[in-house]
Amino acid sequence: MASNRDDFGIAIRYALLQKGAKHKFSLFFLICISILIFFLDSFSSNIMSNVRSILNDSIYRVSAVSSSPFNFLENLGKDTKNIFFVLKENKYLKAELRELKKRDFQTKYLTNENKRLKEVLDSKNDSAVSYVLTKVLLDKKSPFLKSIILNKGRRSGIVKGMPVISKNYLIGKVVEANYLSSRVLLLNDLNSRIPVTFGDRAVQSILTGIGRDKPRLEYLPENFEALDGETVFTSGKDGILTPGLPIGLTEKINNKLDVKLFADPNQLSFVKVILIDKDTESNF
Amino acid sequence: MAIFPKKFITYIIGLGPVIFLYFLSITETNTEFSNYFEIVSFNLQLIIVYYWTLKAPSMLGSGNIFFAGVVNDVIMGFPLGTSSLTYLVTAVVATYIRNVTVNTSLITDWLTFLIAIFFANLTYLILISNFTDIIVTYLDLFYNSFFTFLFYPIFWVLFSSYKMLLKGAS
Repeated sequence: MASNRDDFGIAIRYALLQKGAKHKFSLFFLICISILIFFLDSFSSNIMSNVRSILNDSIYRVSAVSSSPFNFLENLGKDTKNIFFVLKENKYLKAELRELKKRDFQTKYLTNENKRLKEVLDSKNDSAVSYVLTKVLLDKKSPFLKSIILNKGRRSGIVKGMPVISKNYLIGKVVEANYLSSRVLLLNDLNSRIPVTFGDRAVQSILTGIGRDKPRLEYLPENFEALDGETVFTSGKDGILTPGLPIGLTEKINNKLDVKLFADPNQLSFVKVILIDKDTESNF
Repeated sequence: MAIFPKKFITYIIGLGPVIFLYFLSITETNTEFSNYFEIVSFNLQLIIVYYWTLKAPSMLGSGNIFFAGVVNDVIMGFPLGTSSLTYLVTAVVATYIRNVTVNTSLITDWLTFLIAIFFANLTYLILISNFTDIIVTYLDLFYNSFFTFLFYPIFWVLFSSYKMLLKGAS
């Protein structure tokens, strides 16, 4: 029995401390280094966050370059497929354009009315927002984290917490801002929580990512009767996100209310970061 | 006279596992198929680290395992060192198995890989759930571990063929 324990000890010690031609460092030494950098990064100091920022910027660029041949091939396949459907899509788009033009008049009328009413109420007009257009540098999928990397960072005025939109639909918010790049946590990520409002009754809820394509509405009022097809908007209750950003449509599945996002999180190439003034930044 | 000396070709083929490991960490290539099957995802890096540390440790240096982990952490947005530790724990289990066994087959490799997955994911879970704000669902982690275990024999066959090719070249 004691001999078995000794053998185990010797084998483990050998596995941890062994070095060789290609193994210049023992596994034990590298494990210690890993633990050290993990704790330095987790309980980050200013120095470590600067190091991390430089490391992120450089690795993201290398990654974008090394992924480009594969992205090119993937896009080539998609583009070829699209060519076959271009005529059909053209007809559909023309019809949609006619419909949108009709709605545009209504929107203009409502915007003017809203402006006049705000003037009557002496309310601050907060609809003027500025954006930064960015390109999606990396979109690596993971079963645990749903995020994308953008090609602009602090240099372009992006800071942590800013909302990110694609085709005017909210897709997530900035969770990491480096000097030349930033990371966006998508709405379907497990860690995403967004205060939203939806429906004619302006129901307040929290949109929670569940790691799948469709995030879920949680903390709904008691005995709430869910309906399909209601548009979900940001409520702005957190004081960070701009209120009224469209997100998606409600979908009732097994007594749970999911949201089918307007912007497909798997098909993002160019997105806009909404720049928020410095006073709001302090809330992040 | 050959344009590329045989030694050079052998050297390049010998770098295959290291290149593949870095390639998976740094590029957008992923082993998640949630667009097609919601639960299917697996960790190919763990399979590479385990197989090559067990079968031909001279082809995959421990420093490379560590750096591939750091690169993976940057790309995935995990705290630095998380993936490195996960890969190194896998390498420790593989080295231990290599030290205590004489003849191994696909079945023994496959079953012992289960121990490596267990310790690697345990390390990952302890680090992520105790020291970061990142939320991970146990079910997703279980599915990922299950499919990593399930797909091991396929890559065992592929990597064994590659090893034979390398033997032939040298």
